[in-house]
Amino acid sequence: MQSLALYTGFGLVTASILCLGAVSFTLQFGISNLFNLAFGATMTAAAFVAYVCNAAGLNIWVSLVLGSLSASLLSFLLNRGIYTPFRRRATGMFTMIMVTLGVGIIIQYAIEAIWGADNRSYNMVTGRSVHVADMLFTTTQLTVIAIAAVAAAGVHVLLHYSRLGKAMRAVAVNERLARNCGIPVKAVVDSTWLLSGALCGLAGVVLVMDVQVLNSGSGDSFLILIVAATVLGGIGSAYGAMVGSLIIGVVAELAAGYINPQFKDISTFIILAAVLLLRPTGVISSIASAKEMAR
Amino acid sequence: MSAAWQFYIATLIVFGFVYIIAAAGLNLQFGLTGVYNFAFIIFEAAGAYCTAVLSLGSPRAFGGFQSYILGLHLPFPLPLLASAMVAGALGVGLGALTVRRLRADYLAIVMLVISLIATGLVTDYQGVFNGAAGLSLIPQPFASLTSSSIVYDWLFVLVAGVICALVLLAARLMIESPLGRSLRAVRENENAAAALGKNVTALRLLVFGVGGAMAGISGSLLASFTQAWSPSSWFYTETFVLFTALIVGGAGSNLGPVVGAVLVPVVLAEGSRYLPQFGPPTLVPSLEWIAIGVILLAFLWFWPRGIVPEPKRTFPAEPVPRPLVPQRTRGVLVRDLEGERGPGR
Repeated sequence: MQSLALYTGFGLVTASILCLGAVSFTLQFGISNLFNLAFGATMTAAAFVAYVCNAAGLNIWVSLVLGSLSASLLSFLLNRGIYTPFRRRATGMFTMIMVTLGVGIIIQYAIEAIWGADNRSYNMVTGRSVHVADMLFTTTQLTVIAIAAVAAAGVHVLLHYSRLGKAMRAVAVNERLARNCGIPVKAVVDSTWLLSGALCGLAGVVLVMDVQVLNSGSGDSFLILIVAATVLGGIGSAYGAMVGSLIIGVVAELAAGYINPQFKDISTFIILAAVLLLRPTGVISSIASAKEMAR
Repeated sequence: MSAAWQFYIATLIVFGFVYIIAAAGLNLQFGLTGVYNFAFIIFEAAGAYCTAVLSLGSPRAFGGFQSYILGLHLPFPLPLLASAMVAGALGVGLGALTVRRLRADYLAIVMLVISLIATGLVTDYQGVFNGAAGLSLIPQPFASLTSSSIVYDWLFVLVAGVICALVLLAARLMIESPLGRSLRAVRENENAAAALGKNVTALRLLVFGVGGAMAGISGSLLASFTQAWSPSSWFYTETFVLFTALIVGGAGSNLGPVVGAVLVPVVLAEGSRYLPQFGPPTLVPSLEWIAIGVILLAFLWFWPRGIVPEPKRTFPAEPVPRPLVPQRTRGVLVRDLEGERGPGR
């Protein structure tokens, strides 16, 4: 039973990073009706900003904040400068996928053009190991879990108890109706991108803090898990993203630990295939159903 | 021309044909029918793998340094045909799982995820796909005809050209036929197409199959030309390049895939070979990718219909509007109807 607890612990760390990314990804989808496939590249960009700050001698936690802020700004600019103009032309959703993919590839290879394809890592101490009920964490990992928990709680409070959060939910379900009710849609969309960009940056930096390897493809390779968690939870739903992250993170690490490290991806695939066959709108399907994603 | 130049040009032409065949297949799905198959490249990979295992012979023949299934040694056209069939069947199968349940653009994301996971699975499965190393030493299909490698390369150019022409002809027939009209109807408005009695799901599955088969042919040619197969060459970004090629060339038109495939993957990717080497080794490939991304955005913004736009299909209007029911006929009709009611009323 000890190894079960151990693998669950690893799973919780993965799930925490996933949760930051998936909540952010799903908020962007809900508010702008767009799969932001530049998400992984934005995570990588944040991780590299943190790397530069860290290499310049700043503390890793300060670098984390700076990386997160940079991703927030980048996401905001991408939405204002590229996504919104395309959307205003009533561009179809598939074309938007191509747009975000193109933007993501530009960002990713701009990073590679500047820093090359080598692996890097942060200059940080991972902290001592801590046992929590048979689970083994480093203090850094515990902090990552705490950050994710605080972020998830914060998103919950925001969505349910603040005017901005309620406006965000309204815009996600029906933008035109929200506008006709006097909600300042543009300001709501802008703040959503700033907020989700910050979460995206957090995810990018803590991912690298956990796996301790940074290269130009770091965020992009993690995007698969984020999309899987988001689709599993029900795209557009923040709570779905949290549930999906927890399931994907824990199951992937259990499969990796008990069966074979290769089953990390395979187990994700099996879960995703089952979801798509049985319930394509995901576990919590309110937004995905409102947007008529599947029939 | 020196032998090296001949080899280079022949390779470039074969790559061009391979990309054109793939783009033609994707054009049927994306340009003609509006099926956003973001896993397109895995059908090409499936075709290539099929050709490899059907022409390599038994794995033990090479001292067992690579492992794969089947291990047959079939003569030339058979692996190609089998590849087309396997990739087409895979397309119908994958389409059947997804196409009925998902909205078209959601399908794109799901296919993208499938593509990513497929690459991961293949890389991890040592036994069936030989893992990340992939397969090599795939025999050349008609090596016995000539001993000169230059002549062989030009022979391959010829064969690939003929196959490419056949594929383009098939695609053209499909685009111009009444079937193509139904497929365009599915793309433009699936509810309207369904209301006119078109089986939307069946039509989508059809292009999944036909497009997949073309992808299989393209992959098969590539595998037998390069004599190698490796999962890393079938990453989802290759699908992105093909989509970019179609958008640049003009999706939905007959010539669009040809123009796009020549301009984007061949000229852009191979053109950088003549740039003077500068900076670290990853710099030039990175700039290439950035260029592809920028070109895509520019075309989507300024010329979304591409270089060879799909022609607007118009039909001649009826010259003189006829009255719906002529007066005299109506009289007859009414009288007949009254007659039908019978005299007893």
